[in-house]
Amino acid sequence: MAEVVLRDVVKKYGTVPVVHEVNLDIADGEFMVLVGPSGCGKSTTLRMIAGLETITSGTISIGEKVVNELPPKDRDIAMVFQNYALYQHMTVFDNLAFGLRNRKVPDAEIKAEVARATRMLGLDPLLSRKPFQLSGGQQQRVALGRCIVRRPQLFLFDEPLSNLDAKLRAQMRIELKALRERVPTTSVYVTHDQVEAMTLGDRVVVMKDGWIQQVGTPLEIYNRPATRFVAGFIGAPAMNFIDVELADEQGQLRARAKDFDIGVAPQQADCLRKHGAKGVTMGVRPEHIHLGAAPDGKGSSFSGQVKVTEQLGSELVVGLDAAESTIMASRIAPETDIALHAPAEMWIEQRALHFFDRKNEAAIR
Amino acid sequence: MIGLVVAAVKRAIFAISLLAVFVLFVGPVAILVVTSIRPASGVYYIWRGTNFTFSNFIDVVHQSQVMQAMWNSFVLSTLATIFSLGITVGSGYMLSRFGGWIQRSWFATIYIFRTVPYISWVLPLYLVNTRLGIYDTMLGLLLPHIAVHVCFFSWLMKGFFDGINPSMEYAALIDGCTRWGAFRRVALPAALPGIAALSILCWLATWNEFLFALILSGQRTPLITSTMAQFVTETGTEWNLMSATAVLAMLPALLVTIFGQKHVIRGLRM
Repeated sequence: MAEVVLRDVVKKYGTVPVVHEVNLDIADGEFMVLVGPSGCGKSTTLRMIAGLETITSGTISIGEKVVNELPPKDRDIAMVFQNYALYQHMTVFDNLAFGLRNRKVPDAEIKAEVARATRMLGLDPLLSRKPFQLSGGQQQRVALGRCIVRRPQLFLFDEPLSNLDAKLRAQMRIELKALRERVPTTSVYVTHDQVEAMTLGDRVVVMKDGWIQQVGTPLEIYNRPATRFVAGFIGAPAMNFIDVELADEQGQLRARAKDFDIGVAPQQADCLRKHGAKGVTMGVRPEHIHLGAAPDGKGSSFSGQVKVTEQLGSELVVGLDAAESTIMASRIAPETDIALHAPAEMWIEQRALHFFDRKNEAAIR
Repeated sequence: MIGLVVAAVKRAIFAISLLAVFVLFVGPVAILVVTSIRPASGVYYIWRGTNFTFSNFIDVVHQSQVMQAMWNSFVLSTLATIFSLGITVGSGYMLSRFGGWIQRSWFATIYIFRTVPYISWVLPLYLVNTRLGIYDTMLGLLLPHIAVHVCFFSWLMKGFFDGINPSMEYAALIDGCTRWGAFRRVALPAALPGIAALSILCWLATWNEFLFALILSGQRTPLITSTMAQFVTETGTEWNLMSATAVLAMLPALLVTIFGQKHVIRGLRM
């Protein structure tokens, strides 16, 4: 195991920068997830750690050793790819043994290591098959096995579950988590799927356009998003954003939009006053909006017309036309009788408000 | 009712097309084979008479020139395949995987040579070969063939490697291989069906080639395609002997095709 440190890492293709001054400390044994939309630089960052991409400037160290100039084979890492990248002409056993044979490990030891991995991943009956004879899930298990047998100091995962269907993905996510317990190794995991990021990561790095937006535990990222982008990217249904004007009224700060008026909690009001801007973006998660009138002192109500309803069985998601946008509310009891286009009243929890600067989109707190 | 008529017309068109293709492709071969087993007197009326003989084949087999040409063509095709494929595999891999000015220049070079009409090469090549003293030698025939194959097959080879996901090689790099090791142990085995297909196409192309054989070979290194043409003499054309030689020349190509067909199809489907 080893810690991984990225210092001012920049990647440019020609003159086009794709990763900007990334600084990241990944602790020994930590499972770090890089998440972001396509083209945010997460895969490029991973490939630089792997040594499959050169670094334009900055340093990457694995286990206190700067690896900038080291070829991938000498970095003592293992990687799982999105399309499994199994050696198509080799059997499962040979796929698993390939890395060890390259390192001239004695045959008996190879057999023992492969046996350990196959037992862990339930690959025993598949050892003599070729990759094309396996299902997607089995292939990804072999790819995981190929990593485990090597006992590297760092695991890298490049969207390993993206090619699997939804059901299998959920199952593999659980298996990955279980595997983590049994093989505790420093890991960097790239995904565009926020559920994988939240469920697997010890910490999560949210990236956009080559910049790190926020680094934190899944709960930190969810509860205290550093930017409007992070707030909108993590969470489903996505956070509601409403452009509001702030106004002091009898000592209380109120956020107002068209037909919309909500009181801000005192502590948050102080931060907003200190920040100074009158026009800001307010964010509120759908689960913090409820049907009906606000109980005293807990929040503020607003009303509008029901524009969408999504019945999920376990909950009802309702979109209300208000404040010049569609405000989504989730976790409404599925049996609730709500008619489309009918007027409805909802209320927002005061303690759950987020505010973002309209220009630089940073959280105001 | 109209539907039935349309269906009948469609079926008729299909049947006629099938027949046309059959006649176009099988007809000449059938005439060739029949001519090869007719006596010299019967070649102009191959559908009449019942005189059949294998003496043409016996005659041809006893002509040392023809047998020598067969052997030369076999050696040339095999050598040209081995050398061109050796270069083509590397060239196709480079075109598929690497960027930069070397790759671009190489691509431009083979692209330009592909666009130059084949026949315009032959006369300059004749002059070059005589100047270098390799006219009518195996080397003088081999080099142009390799050049043509490399230009042509590098494109196909690039296509094969494009179809192989490079992450397999990345995995090999991480698993302890060098760049060369990843190519040799992972990319190359994955491209084998494609390489097998190209070998067969390459071999057949050399075996069937006529223009180089005609201009660049002479008495010392006769090739089968140009030797066949020598049955056209001042006193007339010995169609029966020419046909017998042609049928003999078809055999190796036929064998290669029959046994290699599976690989060609699998390779080209990559």
